[in-house]
Amino acid sequence: MPFNSANLLPILPEIAILITAAVVLVVDLYLKEKDKGVNHVLALIGLLVAFVLTGLVGGGERVLAFDGNVVRDLMSDLLKAGALIVSALTLVYARPWLKDRNLLAGEFYVLSLCAVLGMLVMISANTFLTLYLGLELLALSLYALVAFDRDSKLGSEAAMKYFVLGALGSGLLLYGISMIYGATGSIELGAVARAVAEQGSGNKVLVFGVAFLVIGIGFKFGAVPFHMWVPDIYEGAPTPVAMFLGSAPKIAAFAMIVRLLVEGLNALHTDWQGMLAILAVLSIGLGNVAAIAQSNIKRMFGYSTISHVGFIFLGLLAGSTQGYASAMFYTLTYALMAAGAFGILTILSREGFDAQNLEDLKGLNERDPWYAAMMALLMFSAAGVPPTVGFMGKLLVLEAVVRVDMVWLALVAVFFSIIGAFYYLRVVKFIYFDQPTTAVPIVTTGGVRAAMTVNGLAILFLGLFPAALLGLCQAAFP
Amino acid sequence: MIALSDYLIVAGILFSIGVAGIFLNRKNVIVLLMCIELMLLAVNTNFVAFSHFRHDITGQVFVFFILTVAAAEAAIGLAILVVLFRNRRTINVEDLDSLKG
Amino acid sequence: MGFEKFLFYCFAAIALASAGMVISRRNPVHAVLWMVVTFVSGAALWILLEAEFLGIVLILVYVGAVMVLFLFVVMMLDVDIATLRACFIRYLPLGAAVALLMLGEIVWIVGPANFGLTHFPSPPAAGLDVNNTHDLGMSLYTTYVYPVELAAVLLLVAIVAAIRLTMRRRTDTKTIDPAVQSRVKKGPDRIRIVKMASVGPLETPETLAEAKDEPR
Repeated sequence: MPFNSANLLPILPEIAILITAAVVLVVDLYLKEKDKGVNHVLALIGLLVAFVLTGLVGGGERVLAFDGNVVRDLMSDLLKAGALIVSALTLVYARPWLKDRNLLAGEFYVLSLCAVLGMLVMISANTFLTLYLGLELLALSLYALVAFDRDSKLGSEAAMKYFVLGALGSGLLLYGISMIYGATGSIELGAVARAVAEQGSGNKVLVFGVAFLVIGIGFKFGAVPFHMWVPDIYEGAPTPVAMFLGSAPKIAAFAMIVRLLVEGLNALHTDWQGMLAILAVLSIGLGNVAAIAQSNIKRMFGYSTISHVGFIFLGLLAGSTQGYASAMFYTLTYALMAAGAFGILTILSREGFDAQNLEDLKGLNERDPWYAAMMALLMFSAAGVPPTVGFMGKLLVLEAVVRVDMVWLALVAVFFSIIGAFYYLRVVKFIYFDQPTTAVPIVTTGGVRAAMTVNGLAILFLGLFPAALLGLCQAAFP
Repeated sequence: MIALSDYLIVAGILFSIGVAGIFLNRKNVIVLLMCIELMLLAVNTNFVAFSHFRHDITGQVFVFFILTVAAAEAAIGLAILVVLFRNRRTINVEDLDSLKG
Repeated sequence: MGFEKFLFYCFAAIALASAGMVISRRNPVHAVLWMVVTFVSGAALWILLEAEFLGIVLILVYVGAVMVLFLFVVMMLDVDIATLRACFIRYLPLGAAVALLMLGEIVWIVGPANFGLTHFPSPPAAGLDVNNTHDLGMSLYTTYVYPVELAAVLLLVAIVAAIRLTMRRRTDTKTIDPAVQSRVKKGPDRIRIVKMASVGPLETPETLAEAKDEPR
């Protein structure tokens, strides 16, 4: 079978990221300690090029490449663009933090870029095999990044926990995949979907496989009751790494769940709907309640992530195209929001000091009104206060759930969101109505300020004018 | 003749032993890593058995990649373990209590 | 009972028994060695399934490299064994219950009802002309060439991560870099003999001027 170079077109963004990672790896050898910033610039250029390429090869009909291993459709274009933008933002926020701690090493960028590559591969995977490899590429890079600060006890401990639970999740996911392969005889999602549609949900082997898949997804997404690692890893990881793994990978995880459950196993919708509903209710409930008790803000974000994952599951389990589109909207905007919120923490940190307690945010308004306003916007969005985008996202998801007659789920979600609003608004109170505990001025760079401004205003803008992004999301699920 | 179900049951028992090991050896990270390897061996046996009985090489291809990934994973896992040991002088999970969860 | 069936039961029994030993040994070194036994008998089962290449790879890569790596780390870290086992009995009921429940479900699902000989008749033994390695290679480098590239990146990540996490330049060693040695220059790097005026009454303005003019 001759190689067709048209295969390369859909994976141009991946190629760009891989080349950048390789270039950074080599260039880093020749850089002096004071010039390490070059790595940062190279990585950002790579992400930008990949973004442009995503736009250039994107759009139009669904294309399969590499014998069905890769798919390029509207959903992959949109999610790739989102993952690249959010990753670029996190790298911008991360730089001063890393520089202050002498961690601005080339390996950080190589591993981050490989993680981004893993995300892109997951997003456009069309076989279980490609999906698994993308997932592992992302996960292995993240394990190493969490332990990146070698002298941090917390970091290495968090990395170990993340590693063991992540590997356990992979094992369960693989067992599910092996069952589905056994029952259908294929690992290509299209062929699996056809075989599953023939056999229907009467086949116990398939249902058994799906149960393992959902457990594996639960581990990777951090949904209750497989959430044990999330708060620990958020707290223990260096702040930029927590920011990185808390934002863009959620987009890739969303792609994974859509590819596996919606594209591959849609015929078993009634089976996985129930499983997802349990995970969603538990996640929204426990995430919001446990977050209130936290005094460490990174840990609080961890529990907050769990509750947001519950909302994403809500949209997916609705099973309608409207539900998928709303879940996608929610995921994209959540990733943007998480990057911004952690970004503020990296800005408040300085050499020898990590902002990670709620008290550290006290009086932010007096220290820097603009960042205070941005943080307030982000917190309002996380709580779901109009007119920010968080409100739009929650509204769309709830509407989709109500449309499929699962009103009780919507009521539970609203109830716990109101409880959850408390701890986000408490942050806003700290920012505006409390006295600063320290007089140290906030040192920041123009690049970080510009990125944070774009990030914060995007949250507001998308909330006021959600139509464009929502339209794209709906087009991705015809 | 040996049926497909025989192979799958052996793999299932291996998988359960791996899961049981994770519960029993919560304290020892190295044995935890080996339990995960046991689970992967079970998954691989599943794939190989399906591949044989379905006359489809794809299952073996999948196993090939799982082996590759598991080797890379073991390398990173042990590297993290070494870093952890340097920082804490212990691999006892119960001593790892800086994080509450 | 045919010879093949005899081999299957032998190797399956060894694999399961040694897997049980892996999770119940007090000493991690013993656990690693039992793991080796598990892998070898697993490989034998795969070869019975006509996956010869993977069976050999399992022994070469897993037993030969990964398990040796485990052994190396276990010995390097010098683990205190006694404390590691204190809670084994405490977790035994829970672990056994979960595992038995899972096992029951797995056996119920994958048992003869779904995957018996009636559903999946045993395929005829492959002829001598079938080359498992060739088939696998053909599949890998045509249909699955994209995953092969991804696996390469994965291994790169493993290298970068392992080096970053564990390599530290020691500052207290007195190593010499041969590249620097061979680039030595005559002027500043070499030892240089300087004629100095002797101290004492012999020092006169004339001798001092002479020392100054001395060529380097």
